[in-house]
Amino acid sequence: MALWVLLVGLACGPCAAQPDWPNDESQIKAAFLYKFAGYVDWPEGFLGSVETPFTIGVLGADPIADELVQIVQGRKIHSRSIVVSRLKAGDPLEDVAILFVGKGDAARLKPVRGTLQAQPILVVTEEPAGLALGGMINFLLVDRHVRFEVALAPVEKSGLRLSSRLLAVAQRVHAEGR
Amino acid sequence: MIQPRACLAGLLALSLSPIQAQDNKASALAELSLEELASIQITSAARHPEFLGDASAAIFVITSDSIRRSGASTLPEALRLAPNLQVARLDASQYAISARGFNNAIGNKLLVLIDGRTVYTPFFSGVFWDQQDVMLEDVDRIEVISGPGGTLWGANAVNGVINVITKSSASTQGGLVAVGAGNQGRDASFRYGGVLGGGGTFRVYAKGDATRPVVQTGSAAVTDGRSRGQMGWRADWVDNGSELTFQGDVYAGATDSRGLFGRFDLGRVEASGGNVLGRLTRKLPAGQDVRLQAYYDYTDRKDAFLYQPRQRVLDVEFQHGVPLGAHRLLWGGGYRQARDDIRPGVIFGFTPAAASLRWANVFVQDEFKLTDRLNLTLGTKLEKNDFTGMESLPSARFEWKPSPQQLWWSAVSRAVRAPARLDRDIRLPPTPPFLIAGGPDFQSEIAKVLELGYRSQPSASLSYSVTAFQHHWDKLRSGQRPPGAQVQNMIEGKTWGLEAWGEWHAARHLRLAGGLSLLRKNLRVRPGSSDPEGPRALGNDPRHQWMLRAGLNLPHRQELDVIVRRVGALPDPAVPAYTAVDLRFGWTVRPGVELSIVGQNLFDGSHPEFNAALNRREIPRNVALRVRWSL
Repeated sequence: MALWVLLVGLACGPCAAQPDWPNDESQIKAAFLYKFAGYVDWPEGFLGSVETPFTIGVLGADPIADELVQIVQGRKIHSRSIVVSRLKAGDPLEDVAILFVGKGDAARLKPVRGTLQAQPILVVTEEPAGLALGGMINFLLVDRHVRFEVALAPVEKSGLRLSSRLLAVAQRVHAEGR
Repeated sequence: MIQPRACLAGLLALSLSPIQAQDNKASALAELSLEELASIQITSAARHPEFLGDASAAIFVITSDSIRRSGASTLPEALRLAPNLQVARLDASQYAISARGFNNAIGNKLLVLIDGRTVYTPFFSGVFWDQQDVMLEDVDRIEVISGPGGTLWGANAVNGVINVITKSSASTQGGLVAVGAGNQGRDASFRYGGVLGGGGTFRVYAKGDATRPVVQTGSAAVTDGRSRGQMGWRADWVDNGSELTFQGDVYAGATDSRGLFGRFDLGRVEASGGNVLGRLTRKLPAGQDVRLQAYYDYTDRKDAFLYQPRQRVLDVEFQHGVPLGAHRLLWGGGYRQARDDIRPGVIFGFTPAAASLRWANVFVQDEFKLTDRLNLTLGTKLEKNDFTGMESLPSARFEWKPSPQQLWWSAVSRAVRAPARLDRDIRLPPTPPFLIAGGPDFQSEIAKVLELGYRSQPSASLSYSVTAFQHHWDKLRSGQRPPGAQVQNMIEGKTWGLEAWGEWHAARHLRLAGGLSLLRKNLRVRPGSSDPEGPRALGNDPRHQWMLRAGLNLPHRQELDVIVRRVGALPDPAVPAYTAVDLRFGWTVRPGVELSIVGQNLFDGSHPEFNAALNRREIPRNVALRVRWSL
């Protein structure tokens, strides 16, 4: 009986905001987007001064943008505060350092692929043809886990450098000349 | 020996320290490393992909998360989570498990598979539950189908199919150590997964456990403690719609010396075995898919008192799915060869001692989309066995989806339990004159089954399923008055009942689930039989059983789960009804390290679950401490 009372006591302790039950796909991808920034080097000067916020642009994918907004509060990337910018097709990619393209929107990447390639913007997609359409990192679902694959060719062209630790965790790495 | 109460008090003291405000889950996830993020499993409340799945059958899926939160450390204990299974623990390592009745230690109407490999022994069509084990941490899900699965699964899937599916090695990368210790025994498992050349992944594991003996009511000092070790491996390659898997296990275990029974020294039971399996699935153009699987399984059981089987099984099967307009055709076939050598014990022998048996089958099934909401599935399997020749297992299933959240289904099937060596070749005692012998003309047991079911998911947080069934039985196994008794097929009758379960995501951090099963039997011996036992020998089943589960998520990555289960009284031999309460408190101390305390049968000193009062075990209260550590 004492055992039961002790356990009930624990359950009724003061409760702050508690973790949600489900491990949501959007939450995991948003967490990855935030973490990727720590494993990528942008060219000298691209990110501007330390006062300039680091911008993550999200095209479509509102649920992931919502989660990202939660994550970036109180956090910094490369000593800069973080701003999440919700984009629509055709919006200028000013100051965007990471561009996340939601499912179904990757096709809109195709026409701007050439321009994007010249810029050190980390393009992340979440659909099967993501890399073929210009993505540098593409999210995959493997057995209910969120994993990602990396295409090195566009990364090379853009002037970005990816940490070998990021490549080691990737599910697949596609070398140049794919 | 660990003092459970002292440990619990210690953990509570640690966890009641000031609670840090945690913004929300995404923010907490952002604290994890890349490797940890990659290893989290997605579990979304809104999605039940298996719920309104294609199977028009009573199928309950035990998820990997519910196994973890139940604190179960062995496969039979994990099976208690399925409301459509009757699980009765006989002693420290033996269980009687069945669906829809006919439960006893040699239950023969349930097909059990681990990753596609049949683990019921062909020579008595039952499962030695003390021989079957998997590393539960690497189980992806357990599909429990109650009802005949004849068309796809073959003879012996008369009352149900249990399909244990382990995770692909791509999902079990890195190291994992799981250790448990409690008053009933201790266990330890270790697994390591890594990457292979050519885009493949692998894992290797090893586990060992030692179970203490369970108290026996009644006479003599017979002990049933046991220790066991198992190790295995798995390798997977995935490439563009093709998946190739190889896996294998070896195990060995032994009970303590069981003491004396009258003047007989019962000795130990030693069981060992191994298996190797390969499977290839491939997606072909035009929506087709093909699957090819082969395995080899070896088991050796030494029980000088009962009988001592040694057996080798080779099994190959193939299936091909083809969409043709509004039809989806599935066809295939299989071949199995089993060679067994059963050395006599003191009590039983088999004549002939060694035999080679062969089974071959072909099947075809057509799923026809009549309209947008109406599906008709017709199929049949033809299976040939060495005892009765060709058996046919047809079924017709009908599905109606009045709305995207509801499904009505009904099924008519003929299922068959083909003879096993036990029915024809067993002899008691091993040498003549015999008291009891297998029947040379023993035929297949036949069931004609009618089922009606309804599944609904009225909102993202609520889902439930109800199934009504009726089985008409013919040619069930019966006996005669000894001496010179032979096994016959002279029991017939009807069983019917209801299975229902549901899950409600009641609040953000609270999930409730429940299940109920009801069973009625009306079996009788046909005139002309001198069977002294009658239908009671076929199984001992409760008229009802139900369970309620509650899972609560607490701050600081803590979890609390309670399971209350009630099993009705067993008629003959009489076993009283019991209610058991299991509790688990889990705490993820830091990412990758989880501590838990599990208590089973908490409010109950001990209770029996099976067998006559004279020689049965009382299942005691069990408290255990577990650690799961991802390296």
